[in-house]
Amino acid sequence: MIAFLVRRVLLVVPTLFVIGSLTFFLVRLAPGGPFQSEKDVPKAALEQMQRAYGLDRPLGEQYVRFLSHAAVGDFGPSYKYPQRQVRDIIAEGFAVSAELGGWALLLAVLIGVPLGVVAAVKQNRFADHAAMAFALAGVSIPNFVLGPALVLVFSLGLYWLPPALWTGPSSRVLPVLTLAAAYVAYIARLTRAGMLEVLGADFVRTARAKGLAERTVVVRHALRLGVLPVVSYLGPAAARILMGSIVVEQIFAIPGLGRQLVNAAFSRDYTLVLGIVLFYASFLLVLNLVVDVLYTRLDPRVELS
Amino acid sequence: MTAQSRSHARPGVRLAAALVLALAAAACAPERDARDARDARWFGSIRPPAANVLRFNNGTEPETTDPSVMSGQPDGMIARILFEGLTEYDPQTLLPVPGQAYRWETSADGLTYTFHLRPNLVWSDGSPLTAHDFVWSWRRVLSPSTASRAAALMYPIVNAEAFNKGTLADSTRLGLAAPDDSTFVVTLRAPTPWLLFLTSYYTFVPVPRACIEKHGARWTEPGKIVNNGAFSLVSHRQNAKYVFAKNPKYWAASEVKLDGIEAYCVDDLNTSTNLYKAGVIDWNPSGYIPSPFLPYVRGFADYTTGEFQATYFYGVNCTRPPFDDPRVRRALNMAIDREAIARDLLKGTRRAWGRLTPSGYPGYDGPPHVPFAPDSARAELARAGFPGGRGFPKFTILFNTSEDHRRIAEAVQAMWKRELNVPVELQNMEWASFQQASTTLRYDVARRSWIGDYLDPSTFLTLLTTGNGNNRSGWSDPEYDRLLRESEREVDPVKRAALLRTAEARALASSPFLPIYHYSTHELIKPYVKGIFHTALDVHPLSRVWIDRDWRQHEPIASGARR
Repeated sequence: MIAFLVRRVLLVVPTLFVIGSLTFFLVRLAPGGPFQSEKDVPKAALEQMQRAYGLDRPLGEQYVRFLSHAAVGDFGPSYKYPQRQVRDIIAEGFAVSAELGGWALLLAVLIGVPLGVVAAVKQNRFADHAAMAFALAGVSIPNFVLGPALVLVFSLGLYWLPPALWTGPSSRVLPVLTLAAAYVAYIARLTRAGMLEVLGADFVRTARAKGLAERTVVVRHALRLGVLPVVSYLGPAAARILMGSIVVEQIFAIPGLGRQLVNAAFSRDYTLVLGIVLFYASFLLVLNLVVDVLYTRLDPRVELS
Repeated sequence: MTAQSRSHARPGVRLAAALVLALAAAACAPERDARDARDARWFGSIRPPAANVLRFNNGTEPETTDPSVMSGQPDGMIARILFEGLTEYDPQTLLPVPGQAYRWETSADGLTYTFHLRPNLVWSDGSPLTAHDFVWSWRRVLSPSTASRAAALMYPIVNAEAFNKGTLADSTRLGLAAPDDSTFVVTLRAPTPWLLFLTSYYTFVPVPRACIEKHGARWTEPGKIVNNGAFSLVSHRQNAKYVFAKNPKYWAASEVKLDGIEAYCVDDLNTSTNLYKAGVIDWNPSGYIPSPFLPYVRGFADYTTGEFQATYFYGVNCTRPPFDDPRVRRALNMAIDREAIARDLLKGTRRAWGRLTPSGYPGYDGPPHVPFAPDSARAELARAGFPGGRGFPKFTILFNTSEDHRRIAEAVQAMWKRELNVPVELQNMEWASFQQASTTLRYDVARRSWIGDYLDPSTFLTLLTTGNGNNRSGWSDPEYDRLLRESEREVDPVKRAALLRTAEARALASSPFLPIYHYSTHELIKPYVKGIFHTALDVHPLSRVWIDRDWRQHEPIASGARR
């Protein structure tokens, strides 16, 4: 177990190195630069800005400097927002994205898992069809349709909830619902499939034969294994959902990390793009590791090696 | 599923369907069932905010809060809330009214301006604000190490250009002086009739020396920043909002009726308009209503429109054959049916426009517009060696990715094909790539637009001078440059306007730019917000804005009778 963890952590370093280096050169291949503007930037000002950011140095030197600073998590100031440090922008944006994603993920699990269990237990009956129809709708309606539809009804029609912004508890409702919908649906389907497989297994028949109540069989015995596909899905899903949804953040004008990354790429904010990409990569790697460890806790058949 | 079980499901389905319909109906007719029938005249909620605060969308996140460095509309709005220059804009006409200076004199030759500051001016931290602060702040803008993007606006000042470009190191030779604490003297290298517009401009506001020297680049953060305008910065959250509170130290604090301002940073046009309709913001400024939506909101009483001093045009790359031939450019110019674009495509939300400078410059009557003259266009093209469009090489209209730009490019493409029989293709690029292509002259024809900085035609006409960084067409005409230089030295406003008019006529005849339309502003202002008006530069001083909770009593009687 310890050896496994050490090896996995050691693997993170070269992975991040490759991702960081690729991003460093790819972002510079894109035409245009961070100081370009519709209005002409005076030559003297442009040179001054480039000097201030070390952009006048040879690319190799810039690369080495980037690596040595990135190693300690320092990406310097943003190019687009010169008064702000990349580190602060990431911290601020991630706090918001993680809160939005956290609520959405919680909602998705709380609704999706029971829905899947009900569908499996009542297989091919009305409850199953209803739950799966709901899941199908959730997966197929894209969030850029669902979000505005919810806004149209609850904000512009009924005036119940704010149509956007990230200000009070009421402003959380619509973006969380929008973001959660697809995950609810997917988790319900995964749970149903997992449960169906487990409900037919020998140990469930044994549990039933012992005369346990159906409720106990389902919740105490079957669910523990039936939910495994959901657990393995949750790792990457959590990484994606916590890092921020570009679409939902845009529709609801939420100051999250997803919107920052897109804007940074469009404005060629090299330091900010690199910072967010590396942060995202490390976050993903760590979460995958957590899922692997969690797996052994849930399924005694899995061993870490 | 059997027929039996399906019929069981029906009541539930029906209930759900009824619910969905009810919600949809509510969504479609939000105000119709409101008790007051007059509500239907307004777009969405008309409930004033709980606090005495103006809430509006400031659009894209500003890049910086430092007025000396910034360039851009959202940045400028924040600067004008926090700082005040020697003069201030009149909220309707934008003509200069006294700001930090209460009076000023101009010398007879128009080269020396003497400003007298109000007595007892203070910064928000209580320290005195003197003429020396202005000298220091303007010098900071011009200092090469500040890397100000708007420094060129100060070039009319003696030695400013040389100092900014680094060829003159001695800052004491700038035409700036403070003979005493309350007198600020500016010496110009040429008469600059628009100087008193510039003194209202954000680049020209005083910035707090002590605060900047103490905190460096982070001086504009909440808690650190010191300012001299009507409101002070309370908090700022990137991509979310700026919160301002009334500055009790402002010289006219007793005239400031708002307790504060909340400026949101919402870049999505649909979201911005939704926020306005739901009553979360009280003002949706120009540029934040989706253009397909304009014909619809036009019918509401809280919609305001007017001319905006900006023009939309196509730049032609004059360094690439066959576009180096003015006859070809003229042919393209005369084959654009601007009226059709404005009428059919833009549904009358903007005016067709056939010259470079927009309308509304005091004392300036521009040259006649480029006509839509397909026959003359074909004749010009034939003279250039392409009769009937034969042998004309395939070329491209370049635009930055946007549905609005695409529709116009498609229309122009069709017109050029129809009238001139030339092969035109369209190409879109995302913003940064587009900027790169247009600044480095890697295009044939490119979408451009320009917004005036101040109320004078020179803010447009200097674009086309040789070597101007915003020219981006490769066009160079020594006679045009000479006319503009001469206009800079001309003190008589009538003679000056005539010089500029001749220059613009020359440019239109040579057609490096193909004008298309005149911009308009389109904004939504709640009926209880008083003091925000349409202005020609879309600049809005907010210090005297107020929330009128009894706005219905102040409505004209006639509208009440409409019930």
